[in-house]
Amino acid sequence: MATDDAGPEGAPEPPVEHDVDPDEGELERTIGLVGGLAIGIGTMIGAGIFVFPGLAAENAGPAAALSFAIGAVIALLVALPASELATAMPRSGGGYFFISRGLGTGPGAIVGLGLWLGLVFASAFYLVGLGSYAGQVFTEAGIALPISPAVPLGVAFGIGLTVLSLFGTENTASLQNAIVIVLLAILTLFLSYGSLDALGVFGAESTPERFFPPGGVLPVLQTAALVFTSYLGFAQIATVAGDIKDPSRNLPLAMVSSVIIVGVFYVVTIFVATSAFGSARLGEFGETAMVEVAREFVGFPGALAIVIAGLLATFSSANASILSASRAVYAVSSDEIIPKAASQINLKYGTPHVALGLAGGPIVVLTATGQVELLAEVASFLHLVLYGLICVALIQLRRENPEWYTPSFECPAGFAVAGVGAVASFGLIAFMQPASIGVGIIVMAAAYGWYRYYATDVELKGDF
Amino acid sequence: MTNTQTPTADEQSGTDDGRQGEDAERPTVLVPLEVLEGESMPDGTSELLANARVILLGYHVIPEQTATEQAREQFGETAMKKLGEFAERLTAAGAAVETRLVFTHEEQATINRIIYEHDCLAVLVPNSIDDPESVLVAVRGTVGVERTTQLIAGLFAGTDVGVTLYHILGPEENEGDAETLLNGVRTDLVERGMRPEAVATRIEQTETPIDAIARVGEEHDAVVMGETDPSVTTFVFGMPSKQVSERFLGPVLVVQRERSEDGDEAN
Repeated sequence: MATDDAGPEGAPEPPVEHDVDPDEGELERTIGLVGGLAIGIGTMIGAGIFVFPGLAAENAGPAAALSFAIGAVIALLVALPASELATAMPRSGGGYFFISRGLGTGPGAIVGLGLWLGLVFASAFYLVGLGSYAGQVFTEAGIALPISPAVPLGVAFGIGLTVLSLFGTENTASLQNAIVIVLLAILTLFLSYGSLDALGVFGAESTPERFFPPGGVLPVLQTAALVFTSYLGFAQIATVAGDIKDPSRNLPLAMVSSVIIVGVFYVVTIFVATSAFGSARLGEFGETAMVEVAREFVGFPGALAIVIAGLLATFSSANASILSASRAVYAVSSDEIIPKAASQINLKYGTPHVALGLAGGPIVVLTATGQVELLAEVASFLHLVLYGLICVALIQLRRENPEWYTPSFECPAGFAVAGVGAVASFGLIAFMQPASIGVGIIVMAAAYGWYRYYATDVELKGDF
Repeated sequence: MTNTQTPTADEQSGTDDGRQGEDAERPTVLVPLEVLEGESMPDGTSELLANARVILLGYHVIPEQTATEQAREQFGETAMKKLGEFAERLTAAGAAVETRLVFTHEEQATINRIIYEHDCLAVLVPNSIDDPESVLVAVRGTVGVERTTQLIAGLFAGTDVGVTLYHILGPEENEGDAETLLNGVRTDLVERGMRPEAVATRIEQTETPIDAIARVGEEHDAVVMGETDPSVTTFVFGMPSKQVSERFLGPVLVVQRERSEDGDEAN
């Protein structure tokens, strides 16, 4: 990250106008580029590497790597317009904020409430993953349990994380940074070794399966829809845009780089996993397939390293998503789309207890269902609607060009990128399972119904 | 808030340049207060800083899971009102006051930024005192001593306050060198308008500096000391000044070294 047009490293940055309010005080920006990347990567990497490889390979074979690549391209097509919008509106609330200000209250309400619930589904999905890895600890220790411990452990972690965040966990950011660095180190080692092995450097080259699954391209696209949950983290960077230092530089860099970094890791992971085992075998291993892949390559120490990495990754994803869900509640509540009381802060702990409750409660309930694929797809559905509308908002704002719209980062080929991004985001939804689409539509309809019932008199378009 | 200024980004440079002739001579002192934690401005602060240009910084530290905007929306007005009351007390005592209110995740980042933005000469670790009559000034060496004299003379020239310059001998130092050092400082202070009889000196060879300053400080109303070794830490409340203030229980003015232009303090 050598480029820094703000002058010498660390020189005072131009103040963001919104941060200074003569009547109510200023806001300190405390998250730098590394912090932003850690939020993005930390939120994303848990799912793509530690939960999905088994499921994805079962559905799409080695071509699941292509599914992950498709997801990365769509995420990039959205990350670029989102970066432009974020530099024009560097405020907490991210995608919800762009859409409510760019397209009006109706779409804003659907997306805002949808984002809250989308993050609730995503958190539940990560918690089931976390439970699976915690359960794997028992397996590795040779303790046989009468029932699969994944769901009960996931529920326990959900309750624990919610309570923890209620009481002001300090230093979560530095913890997150450390977790991401440890994870990337373990994964780089493991994947480099695995790739060299698969290419035949350490012995016989493994015989690759047929790349495409029997169903052809369709399963690949369906898998892309399923695993898109692995890319939900980049927009989380925009939800803390109000805390990011020098947002015009750091926001676009963090969003785009985090997508590229995790995308590369995902594709290589699938390559390594499918060259170690056949796809059907990987599918049998389920959520913790990567543990078996590591065992195949380096034996017990490898399995142990991946169990630890998996715990860290799913933990950080779950934690980040719970916090983001509470921020989403705050964003809609401060605009009075839901009652103001939801964003009350507890003075003693400084935390939004109502919003955290509104996030943590449903998360725990959904975790208890244990429906990994459904949770993942509904989360992706709700986020894809958000992403599609982010692209639409960019097109709309560029055409209207209101006075306040002065982004410091411009998405290259803006109309084309946003147009393709919108079509791709909405299009990917079509490849989901009918049940997920149904649940997603019900959630959106409920959000719209709530808006008609409660918030029709709120006018947010162009409101700062 | 009649006499306070809250600079916006645009006005800020204007306020600095536009300071009246008298104000320009005033030493700039930062007074950080965690207003919403019930921290109020201790008694005697306004008397101590009557001749200063005071940057009154109200701040509130929020855990990372809460958006700073969220806290500002809920607590901004309350905090601003409290700060306004403190500012009025300072202004009534004669100080020139600017207030800043910041919601932050990192106390230190905020304090550093404000020190840098206002080029503060010193930071006050607030503690209550009666009328300030005598002040202990710890002088470590020639480095940065110019800023200390600027602060002392700015605050206390033309008042009844007496200062005692205090130096602790290092292992390689002899008393003659120390006397030369303190007399130089004293001459400088007198040139800047202090009465010669109001400046005493004291040299000791003694225990660790922190213990010594805290002990000798008890004979005085307030302590002025330098920042911790810059190469090690930039913490205003960093160990030595914090330790001194906790044991001595009076106000401590921590003289800041010059912030370099390339902003290595801004992180």
